[in-house]
Amino acid sequence: MKYQVTHITDYIYQSPSSLCHNIMVQTPKNLPFQLVEKHEQTIDPEPEYLNRSQDFFENETVHFSIERTHSKLTATSKSWVSLSSPAWMAVDPGQTQPWEAVRDWLRTTEAMNDTRQFYLQSKHVEFADGVQEYALQSFTPGRPIMEAMLDLNTRINGDFTFTPGFTDLSTPVSEVFANKKGVCQDYAHFSLACLRSIGLAARYVSGYLETIPPPGKPKMVGADASHAWISLFIPDHDWVEFDATNNLLVDDKHIRVAIGLDFADVTPLKGIIYSAGSHSMEVSVDVRREEEAN
Amino acid sequence: MITNYISGIKARTSKYLDELATKGGQIAPKWQNLANYYDCVGPQKLQQCHDEVSRQLRENGVTYNIYGDPEGMNRPWQLDPIPMVFGSEDWEFIEKGLQQRANLLNYILKDVYGSRKLIREGHIPFELIYNHKGFLRQVDKLMLDGALQLIQYSTDLARGPNGQMWVLHDRTDAPSGAGYTLENRAAMTRVFPELIRENEVRKITSYYHTLRNTLISLSSKSNENPRIVLLSPGPMNDTYFEHAYLSSIMGFTLSMGKDLTVSDGQVWLKTIKGLEKVDVIIRRVDDLYCDPLEFLGESHLGVVGLMEAIRRKNVLVINPLGVRILENPALMAFLPKICRHVFGEDLILNSVATWWCGQEREKNYVLDNFDYLIIRGIYSDQNAVYGGNLSSNEKSELIRRIKTNPYLFVGQETVDFSTTPSWIDNQMVARNAVFRSYLVANAENHGYTVMPGGLSRSSPEQGVFMVSNQTGGISKDTWVLGKQVETPQPQATKSPRQQVKVQQQILPSRTGEHLFWLGRYMERSAYTIRLMRLTLLAYNEADSDIHVTENNVLSTLLKSLTHLTGTLPGFTKKQVLRKPESELLSLSTDLNRMGSLASSIQSFLSNGYAVRDRLGLDTWRILDSVSEELNQMKQSVTLTEVYHALDNMVIKMMAFYGLNIDNMTRESSWHLLNMGRFIESSANTCTALKALITKKFGLATDKELWETTLRCNESLVTYRYHYRSNLELSGVLNLLLSNESNPRSLIYQIRKIDDHFKDMAAQEFGQTHELPPIRKKLLEAYTKARLSDIEELCILNEKNQSYTNLELFLDQIVELIQETSTIVSEDFFNHTSSRYSMIQTTLLPEI
Repeated sequence: MKYQVTHITDYIYQSPSSLCHNIMVQTPKNLPFQLVEKHEQTIDPEPEYLNRSQDFFENETVHFSIERTHSKLTATSKSWVSLSSPAWMAVDPGQTQPWEAVRDWLRTTEAMNDTRQFYLQSKHVEFADGVQEYALQSFTPGRPIMEAMLDLNTRINGDFTFTPGFTDLSTPVSEVFANKKGVCQDYAHFSLACLRSIGLAARYVSGYLETIPPPGKPKMVGADASHAWISLFIPDHDWVEFDATNNLLVDDKHIRVAIGLDFADVTPLKGIIYSAGSHSMEVSVDVRREEEAN
Repeated sequence: MITNYISGIKARTSKYLDELATKGGQIAPKWQNLANYYDCVGPQKLQQCHDEVSRQLRENGVTYNIYGDPEGMNRPWQLDPIPMVFGSEDWEFIEKGLQQRANLLNYILKDVYGSRKLIREGHIPFELIYNHKGFLRQVDKLMLDGALQLIQYSTDLARGPNGQMWVLHDRTDAPSGAGYTLENRAAMTRVFPELIRENEVRKITSYYHTLRNTLISLSSKSNENPRIVLLSPGPMNDTYFEHAYLSSIMGFTLSMGKDLTVSDGQVWLKTIKGLEKVDVIIRRVDDLYCDPLEFLGESHLGVVGLMEAIRRKNVLVINPLGVRILENPALMAFLPKICRHVFGEDLILNSVATWWCGQEREKNYVLDNFDYLIIRGIYSDQNAVYGGNLSSNEKSELIRRIKTNPYLFVGQETVDFSTTPSWIDNQMVARNAVFRSYLVANAENHGYTVMPGGLSRSSPEQGVFMVSNQTGGISKDTWVLGKQVETPQPQATKSPRQQVKVQQQILPSRTGEHLFWLGRYMERSAYTIRLMRLTLLAYNEADSDIHVTENNVLSTLLKSLTHLTGTLPGFTKKQVLRKPESELLSLSTDLNRMGSLASSIQSFLSNGYAVRDRLGLDTWRILDSVSEELNQMKQSVTLTEVYHALDNMVIKMMAFYGLNIDNMTRESSWHLLNMGRFIESSANTCTALKALITKKFGLATDKELWETTLRCNESLVTYRYHYRSNLELSGVLNLLLSNESNPRSLIYQIRKIDDHFKDMAAQEFGQTHELPPIRKKLLEAYTKARLSDIEELCILNEKNQSYTNLELFLDQIVELIQETSTIVSEDFFNHTSSRYSMIQTTLLPEI
């Protein structure tokens, strides 16, 4: 499946800014089942300083600064990505290892540090009371890890109500769990809390997903959004992705941008603005199949 | 004295050792000479020495701040006249141990941010690093040139019951105290010169030389003459004194986060001239506070974009960010094994016994022995507690937290530190003491230089083991006795003097702004004091039968106070005027009231403390004594008390004046201070004249007001000398407005503003042909004053019995002066405006 993604962020200032320093994480990754054919970034006004580097998780980060007075800033990322079905789609969940074996193996020095770091708590993923018990209802003794994970995915999807506006960036997992409401980011953070609280390694994945319009209606530009899901480490199959918001084993419709411990590591765009007034941000994302774009 | 001390030690049943008294009740050899000396001089003389030491420190303005205590600012630094003592063999062992430990920690640091083999191979548990907030993924693989990454390193050491020194803490992020150590030694050298010479106490200066050399050599690859700044959290920080002190002796530019900016991936210092590139930052700001863009978004102590400048290797930050990972106390449990693995040798200095709860067996040990251990989080922002001191609720809560996140906690044994002689309340007593050592990487031999000495602290009470200045510890100088082992002194690549000079010419904008306001508040406070004293005098002398509102002199004075302090409506309200006491009290003592005398003095002080590295040592002392005086004054409850406090205050302020006139070099800092001072005084003169003498009451009243006005402007004597006649308005105006030889006249003050500006501009920007806007304003004001016709100003408007021409004239001058002040701010300080805030994708993903 081929996609074209356009991600536009506007900073709107109440009074002009003399200087701003920013970090952008919006470059999709090249993976065995995800090929980035082209990627373009434009920033208006033209930054005085721009530098690309890789962060600890090997995401591409762009540092840029506008060092003259400006009253609006627009950052546009355009990507052309072609996706194929990941190898994990062919795995029989019932044939995977018991989850405890994975947990115990992760505790040994045989597991790489870079894998093990994903079973720890992080800024947005705390082990709130009751989360472990919730997870253990799916992860029953001896159950194959992928089967248990799919069960957890289904339960979260069923128990939680997708509610835009109920949570924000600072809403802790405990509150999301208590109210069972939130958006994809909360679903992802809660999934991570469940998995890590029982000792499994799981990471936050940020990216995009095409929204399918209701039958007969045209797709609206900008109706898409950035999306978040998780990937779970299963030794024989590497990182396998699950989307609790849509109760899915991720296939060839999710475009991956960045991975991290949680949202804090992969914030698509953040900056520090020198300005006397307040400011706001507007984001629009458009995901369309390449055939349509042509 | 010593015999009493030893018998006191013998009588006690506790298990800790004493540094002076051996187990057999003898004097330890290293103490022998000192013990003889103390016995010889006796307690009275020793108390005198104690007072002399305190005086020395106070005179040098050595202070520290206590967090969270409004009264805790600028506390005098306490130093015990009896030092902590190490013999030369003892020290040789400690020195070797410290060097080994520094090398080991440096190895671990390189591994943690490099290949992480020690973790991969299980020598360091994975959770111990990856879970620690000091593990900064942003600095991964970023290394300084050369083998040494850990540049400054300190440890807290104490002697245990077995006679061994134990390491209590490793300090690696931004170790403090080296400045206080130098001040302690300076004070001790002045009070005990012979004792220090005869006992061959080792000099500690090599540490500071090595530090400077290392910084220069680390940065010199790119720059022959690096600009080094010390990044301080600011005057509220507990050890701000030493930030200023170290900066001034080492030739660093003292700066705060808002003095620096990042542009084009480089760090720049904002100076009144413009931006100057920064090569090296010695930081006293904690790692996570250094860059709000990449670490704690709410921090205002750091420099936005600093991490990116580090990433591009455009600036050197010492100690490097990420080093706090080594302060992790859990690491202590693994050091002996790592040392054997890495160096093939045993760890020389033991750490205090530590059990990391991330291991099952150790966790159980901690939980089983909870009451007898210190429980500490692995990250230093969590307070350590004695298990045994907790209430049962606190205890079960902490145990629950340990069980949820065992790897975040350690249990540590309480070391019974040895006691050492201390001078407390006029007698020699035994107190438990901790010693902080200082090491610095030596770029020449790729090893570590240990300061032969350090900062020791003893607890004010016996048996207290958590010693810090924040909780009332007393500092001690540390003497390493015996001949110095000959090591070649590192040669400074540049003479210190030369380097200091180069740096001093740089005036950061924020510093400039503080100096300007220091001048303004100095003058504002002094003028307010003078007017307040005259008012209180008039109030005390007033006939109690005549109502205040009927007493024109007094009510005019009271109203002029309101105008001068900008605290309208104040005395312009009848009911306040009728009962002036409480308003007078509030105007003088209410710290929280804008414009009050107390708040002006407070602003004078805070601007002064913010630039203390620019002021002479004697000036610091005066600031401290003004601060003490202010504390007294604001507790006044009667006007008599206020009056006496004003008497003392005015003398101190005059001393500040005088010292700066004598001592400050005539650089831009001096000119800015004086521009502030004369801008304020010319504006005050106009405001006071307008409030005091533009109304006509009757000759007797008018004359009294004219006399008061002259006194308020310190010109009464001059008037009498010049005119030898009765008071006349024209004479008063002539003297106070247009007499160029009277330093209190308006015209003199305006000229002074212009002179100082002219000199500063010549130094900073060179000569220009066009008249800058500031000078245009000043020329206008000067000409107006010069051309003013005194006769015309004295024309009375019969309708409202006012000197309307004079009023108008004074208003115009005040406006011009205010415009001048605004231009100064905009031209020199404007780029210090540093309001910023965070923006990030908050619109939540909606799928």
